[in-house]
Amino acid sequence: MTATDPKQLKNWLAATARKDGEAFRLLYDATSPKLFGFALRILIKKELAEDVIQESFVSIWNNAAGYQPSLAAPMTWMTTIVRNKAFDALRRQDGAVELDADHFDKDVMNALESTDPTPLESLQMSSDAKSLAHCMARLESLHRQAIALAFYHDLSHSEVASQLKQPLGTIKTWVRRGLERLRSCLSKLEGV
Amino acid sequence: MTIRQNIRSNTLLREMLAAEYVLGTLRGGARRRLETWLPEDALLNQTVNEWQGRLNPMSEFAPAVAPSPDVWRAISRKIGLEKSAIESRKSFWRNLREDIGFWRGLGMASTALATILVAVLITQPPAATPPVTSFVAMLHNDQSQPMAVIMGDAHHHTMTIKMVGQHTVAAEHSLELWAVPKEGNPRSLGLMKSDGSSMTIAMPAGTTPDTVPLLAVTLEPKGGSPNPNGPSGPIVFKGAWVQLTS
Repeated sequence: MTATDPKQLKNWLAATARKDGEAFRLLYDATSPKLFGFALRILIKKELAEDVIQESFVSIWNNAAGYQPSLAAPMTWMTTIVRNKAFDALRRQDGAVELDADHFDKDVMNALESTDPTPLESLQMSSDAKSLAHCMARLESLHRQAIALAFYHDLSHSEVASQLKQPLGTIKTWVRRGLERLRSCLSKLEGV
Repeated sequence: MTIRQNIRSNTLLREMLAAEYVLGTLRGGARRRLETWLPEDALLNQTVNEWQGRLNPMSEFAPAVAPSPDVWRAISRKIGLEKSAIESRKSFWRNLREDIGFWRGLGMASTALATILVAVLITQPPAATPPVTSFVAMLHNDQSQPMAVIMGDAHHHTMTIKMVGQHTVAAEHSLELWAVPKEGNPRSLGLMKSDGSSMTIAMPAGTTPDTVPLLAVTLEPKGGSPNPNGPSGPIVFKGAWVQLTS
């Protein structure tokens, strides 16, 4: 799978807002594997993740007219929809979903841990994801884990603290510092 | 100045609130408060959008997985995309037609086809005017096993269908034979006999390989496709409709 040009996605979203079914299908084909992979990582259960993707795309169809290209990239907008719906589904679950140690794809993990920049370059990701991976690789491993746990599993500070067996105050500091560092690292990359 | 205004005017704090809001670690009252500010605070809204732009690509760190085809079907049903369902069926026929080069290539050179044809032709009952086979098709299933031979007689305007493979059809289903033209909707030629015995049907005018390069059999509800414009079920056998050179 290749990273899809954001301009192309914007065109399809604009056509979807005009209720163009074919453009919507193209948008679905281009983005659903990424979004489904993401939902699957959050929910683990295939049926739940499929329901979430279904609900999300119905919502994308209904709300495409409200998408503002000047505010967010298409993938950012769609990912927010999927993530919110996935977390809603997660909250509807009775028991807690089992958290597995490897939140990410093995290749991504290896690339993040590696000091060599080449593995990151070879990953099939959008340039935004590569930039983020590059900056996350520069965080300390535990700070990175704290942020990833919160992002992927809808965990609060105290839940992250118990997962990583650290005091709450430490986690709050790690998350805040990690986010600050990500911001400055990403803005430097943007400047290049 | 109230505390609330203090918080709202502190740039650094706003930045972190937006970041933790997007990450999800901003909880409870603080989260709800920020959500009430968002509709009226365009700058804060923008800060939140920027953080979504920074953090959402983390979603790509999970391996991409294609959802099952049922998911798209459910979506298009829910939003009422019936029209494009017909369009995608059309493009399915278009793809099939584009495949015809492959079927042609398989064509008459196939020894299996030649052998079976001979067997079929010599078991034809003698008739007053011997039938002339002008066109022929060998229909295969998706495992490339020969399932039916169809011979067209341009003089008598008939086509004879002979099953050569075993294919069981449940009582609530029928097999329907289609002429797939180069352009336009497939045209029904009739239902296959449920017992698999050979049958001869009328061959509509224009059912020549020039205009109809492909014949296909689909699995339909008993009595045939309810869709007047074409098949409703999956293709079970198909094959190129070719001219016999004498």
